[in-house]
Amino acid sequence: MHSAFTRSHALAAYTVSVLAGLTFACFVTTAFRDYNADTTINTVTVLVRNVPDYSALREKNDMGFMIFDLKADLRPLFNWNVKQLFIYLTAEYETPNNKLNQVVIWDKIIQRGENALLDHKNIRPKYYFWDDGNGLRGNKNVTLTLSWNVIPNAGHLPNVVSTGSHQFSFPDEYTTTKM
Amino acid sequence: MGLNDWFNSLHMDYDGQARAEKLSRIIILLFGFVGFIWGYIIQQFSETVRILGAGFILAAILTIPPWPIYRRKPLSWQKVRPQRSGDSDGEGKTKKKKQ
Repeated sequence: MHSAFTRSHALAAYTVSVLAGLTFACFVTTAFRDYNADTTINTVTVLVRNVPDYSALREKNDMGFMIFDLKADLRPLFNWNVKQLFIYLTAEYETPNNKLNQVVIWDKIIQRGENALLDHKNIRPKYYFWDDGNGLRGNKNVTLTLSWNVIPNAGHLPNVVSTGSHQFSFPDEYTTTKM
Repeated sequence: MGLNDWFNSLHMDYDGQARAEKLSRIIILLFGFVGFIWGYIIQQFSETVRILGAGFILAAILTIPPWPIYRRKPLSWQKVRPQRSGDSDGEGKTKKKKQ
């Protein structure tokens, strides 16, 4: 502490230490929050095609397509330790080949300050819903579930599966016409 | 103004150093605490960081430059004794031996 340089050095080091402590305290205040919320999902149109998957083996695979509605109030999830939410919609289903298939078909990033009251009508999937075979046609039990990652300032990264999912079945016939 | 005065005007005395350090820590802790409470109330951690930054600036202004209040208790050194030529030679030799 004998010169201005050592004093500024000590001051900066101490400030950063206090900042680290405050950040940890901020994490502690939100560590045990429940980040769950209720969602409402509805499918408007559901169809399935049988088309070659050029991204894989060029064999004809089932590709599902649906237009859906999504309603969720994610505003209570935000607090001072949440920077953004990464929400994603997964389709889960069972086929003779696999006990559990999970395909992400849509996602969205909600940053802090953006509108977190979701009320989307007629969303189209962002990503292709490919099956690795022919397991979609006539599949009676496909579940759409919304999940999210909570991205904090400091702390762990919760992965939450929301309550409120939607079950639907694919038609028994392939769609061949263009929409 | 002699060399000694000029030197003293740049440096805090020991007591001043201790007080400057204590004061800087009190300011940082106080601003950190207040910032934490305020940030929690408005649920904005960036405000907490900003208030802590304000405390840093205030502490820097108050405790880094050697203000006169940190120079109130200078050490009273003994007067420089008149040097004898033999002593300085002797000191030089002992230093060389140590190395």
